[in-house]
Amino acid sequence: MKKNFSVIAIVVVLAALFVGILSVQADGVKTLIVGFDQNFPPYGYVGEDGEYTGYDLELAAEAAKRMELEIVYQPIDWDAKDLELDSGTIDCIWNGFTMNNREDKYTWTEAYKGAGQVFLLAADSGVTDYSGLKGKVVAVQTDSAGLYAIQDEENKDLLDSFKELLVIPQYNEAFMELESGAIDAIILDIDVAKYQIEGKEDKYLILDEFLQKEEYGVGFKLGNTELRDKVQVVLDEMAKDGVFAELSEKYFSYDSCIMAACQPEK
Amino acid sequence: MTLTTILSKLAGGMLTSFSIFSLTLIFSLPLGLLVALARMSKNALVKGIMRIYISIMRGTPLMLQLLVVYFGPYYVFGIKLSPNYRYWAVIIAFVINYAAYFAEIYRGGIESIAPGQYEAAKVLGYSSSQTFVKIILPQVIKRIIPSITNEVITLIKDTSLAFAIAVTEMFTIAKAIASSEKTLMAYVFAGIFYYVFNFIVAMIMERIEKKLNYYH
Repeated sequence: MKKNFSVIAIVVVLAALFVGILSVQADGVKTLIVGFDQNFPPYGYVGEDGEYTGYDLELAAEAAKRMELEIVYQPIDWDAKDLELDSGTIDCIWNGFTMNNREDKYTWTEAYKGAGQVFLLAADSGVTDYSGLKGKVVAVQTDSAGLYAIQDEENKDLLDSFKELLVIPQYNEAFMELESGAIDAIILDIDVAKYQIEGKEDKYLILDEFLQKEEYGVGFKLGNTELRDKVQVVLDEMAKDGVFAELSEKYFSYDSCIMAACQPEK
Repeated sequence: MTLTTILSKLAGGMLTSFSIFSLTLIFSLPLGLLVALARMSKNALVKGIMRIYISIMRGTPLMLQLLVVYFGPYYVFGIKLSPNYRYWAVIIAFVINYAAYFAEIYRGGIESIAPGQYEAAKVLGYSSSQTFVKIILPQVIKRIIPSITNEVITLIKDTSLAFAIAVTEMFTIAKAIASSEKTLMAYVFAGIFYYVFNFIVAMIMERIEKKLNYYH
């Protein structure tokens, strides 16, 4: 009797595995699956109506439309982005994705936006330059451009002057920590910082000096030049049609496009 | 974002959390019983396999198991993953994890039944399967309900781990709203949602417990 049960047990486990493996197989629908961190406004986030929106997502949607692909927004756990890209569960990372220090890890489009890492602090901290960061607790997002920038050999003295560098999973947790006074500063992208302090400008300050100047591109799995080339073609078209200028104005109040196709013809 | 939008978004996420919760229970409760029986099997091989299985499931974080179940087919076998698999990977990982815990609860219950029960059943002419289904199991269930309730309530809260492989359940949505709205409102509502859900579950379990308490 007990023997029967163990046989059934094994059959059930095998059946479950089989169902799982069947559902692993990919279907043939033509989609562009864009991976992004949904906690990263203004590049990709949950908008007023509760739907995903943002500068990069709108660009991606337009690009997909021009490539006659169906766009799928796939919010991902930022820690798992390389696993997702490698295994093909997302087609690209389009998410204020910094190219600096990652040039060899992904296949990139041309950089479309200039940006940089800055320090965000509470206004009453009275800090005005990097010397004021001595003995402070500074937070930065895991596996982010800001983290690589501060860990760079060049910034070793600055890093050593901090009391602690806190690596946090998501920026919104860092903002809560900063607001509550648990940390003193956050290293983050300038436009993300500006978005966050919108309406609270009197409570926060951003240090003028950039920790690192950088460029954003769309990242594909290393070697996936086929899809990259297709996307690049439509990006150039979109630049010429003024899509970049228009969306950039909407989200950042200035034209941030740095692609060659965005520059006025001489 | 209006309050209605926030609430309807969270409710949508709750639906995902609830479906993970209920599918996990539907599959892991029976599977757990089978695992428990296999674990107590006289066959040393079956027993050994189940021992290792339970030990791995309890000895590694559920989040790691989620990643292995989801990305394993690609990295180990080179199978291309389909987007639909995300959700099923969550269900598979939760079911095999919870079945291991349930199995040990069942085993504890089954082993706590006095041998006299088996002897009495034998004297009365019950076959061994009849003995188990009609005499042993009802007593086991009665005894293990409080432990099961514990696991069930933990399960609801564990659903928030599903985002490790990008399944957007309620807590993930709450985090996203919190980051775009710059307020903690969404977290408060998420907490209330979880609490109310757990409250209902605890109430149902208590009622079942009372109903089974027919000898007192």
